[in-house]
Amino acid sequence: MIEFQFDSLFNFLRMAPHGIYIWPVYGLGLLVIGGLAIWIRYQHRQAIRKIRRIMNRESIHEPKA
Amino acid sequence: MSVEHRFLVRELKLVLARPGDFFKPMWFLILVISMVPLALSPDSKLLGEIGSAMIWVATLLALLLNADQLFRDDFVDGVLEQWLFFNRPLFWLVILKLFCHWLFYVVPLILVTPLAGMMLSVPNDVMIALLVTLLLATPALTCFSALGAALTLGTARSGILGVLVMLPLFVPVIILAAGVLTRASDGSDILPLLALLGAFSIAAATLLPLAVGVALRLNIGGSS
Amino acid sequence: MGWRWFHEWGSPKWFYDRAGRWQRVCGFLALALLLVGTLWGLGFAPADYQQGNSYRIIYLHVPVAFLAQALYVAMAVCAIVLFVWKMKLADVGMQALAVVGFGFTVLALFSGSIWGKPTWGTYWVWDARLTSMLILGFLYLGLIGLRSAIQNPDLAGKACAILVLVGVVNLPIIKYSVEWWSALHQPASFKLTEKPAMPASMWVPLLINLLGYYLVAAYLVLASMRTVILDRERGSAWVREVIERD
Repeated sequence: MIEFQFDSLFNFLRMAPHGIYIWPVYGLGLLVIGGLAIWIRYQHRQAIRKIRRIMNRESIHEPKA
Repeated sequence: MSVEHRFLVRELKLVLARPGDFFKPMWFLILVISMVPLALSPDSKLLGEIGSAMIWVATLLALLLNADQLFRDDFVDGVLEQWLFFNRPLFWLVILKLFCHWLFYVVPLILVTPLAGMMLSVPNDVMIALLVTLLLATPALTCFSALGAALTLGTARSGILGVLVMLPLFVPVIILAAGVLTRASDGSDILPLLALLGAFSIAAATLLPLAVGVALRLNIGGSS
Repeated sequence: MGWRWFHEWGSPKWFYDRAGRWQRVCGFLALALLLVGTLWGLGFAPADYQQGNSYRIIYLHVPVAFLAQALYVAMAVCAIVLFVWKMKLADVGMQALAVVGFGFTVLALFSGSIWGKPTWGTYWVWDARLTSMLILGFLYLGLIGLRSAIQNPDLAGKACAILVLVGVVNLPIIKYSVEWWSALHQPASFKLTEKPAMPASMWVPLLINLLGYYLVAAYLVLASMRTVILDRERGSAWVREVIERD
């Protein structure tokens, strides 16, 4: 039942005749999902940085113990 | 004088005090419709075929011009907060306000559409169908745009955000009305679709004011 | 037992810690499933009789399109939880879901459109599915726009909740009316993915991909929620501890 459908790796990449449609779609998928993941991680780091800055600012104004 | 009476009289006075707001949508409609033959072709047969749809879209956009104003002035003046103290449920006051808006701004605009129809050579039976669909659909559309206006009350400048937020929700009404217009130009029976459109409008006009009331209360509470 | 569960879910700190673990699990599982599912679909599933190899786009398009809609419904559930139980976490969920959902909708639109080229010869057709997906995209956009326009986070959350609930009630009406409209104006031959029964070697990878993308969405939503929580709770002691720990 399960067997590789293409004669060669080259034919796999070509997916004749629709290769130029299929691969960009999956590439786009990688881009969008990967992009979202990276963006969210970036936002996370930004949030941490911002809170650290606030904490530093507050500790400067604290009276020396 | 009852609350309703005072409400209506006040709305009427506001309309008369600002004739600009009254005429702007009509001016917009005629202007946009004038662009259509310029952008397409003066061929009256072609215009007649697409005319009713173009008038529908242009009327829709003209209505959205004023949508942001629905609650904003009253909100800024503090009148909206007074609404909470009238002896009436909030959604009823919303219905009153929207009814006044429909009667005083929307219906006059609809009455101008035959002029646009003449400019685009829309056949008479289609024109009548157009008028009826507009009269039936606009209550629902007014309620939807009121929700958009109520949700964006607190935001700074966004005139168009309320509109953008609501536009996808107009789709069923637009499709139904377009269905009626196609049937009208074919000459087939439009009554069943009109009934559906009317039913949808009634449902929207009864349920949406509840949501609008909640949104208004959010913003009124938030500002105090 | 019931009330403790309820209070735990109301606590951002509890969620932040737990979600970090769930996020990693979802992420790894998603990666594994998508690798297997995509390679299977691309390389090992038999070619379609009518569409040849182009149908392989289905292994991305269908799961992503399904999720785009499912995430909207999840937002509606969050909106209900927000109004009924006043759980702030539900609002955080709604905020995260909107962005991820919009991303999936865009992906579904582009994949559907590109699939259309070999199938119907053009990049865009106003068929029922694509048009509904476009409108869904506008709904998501409206939510994102509304949230960013309102400064007060509580107000923003409740306003978005109202919009989501009105939207979710209208969603079936919109879909039905768009299908009706599409059937009126297009010949019956224009149907996307009309399937005669798919053999197992075709739909099993589809299922695997569906699960994989679902877990990807879960990973993204959890990660986003954790960021939003950090930002919203920045004044509290537990957040300070977390920051110092890193």
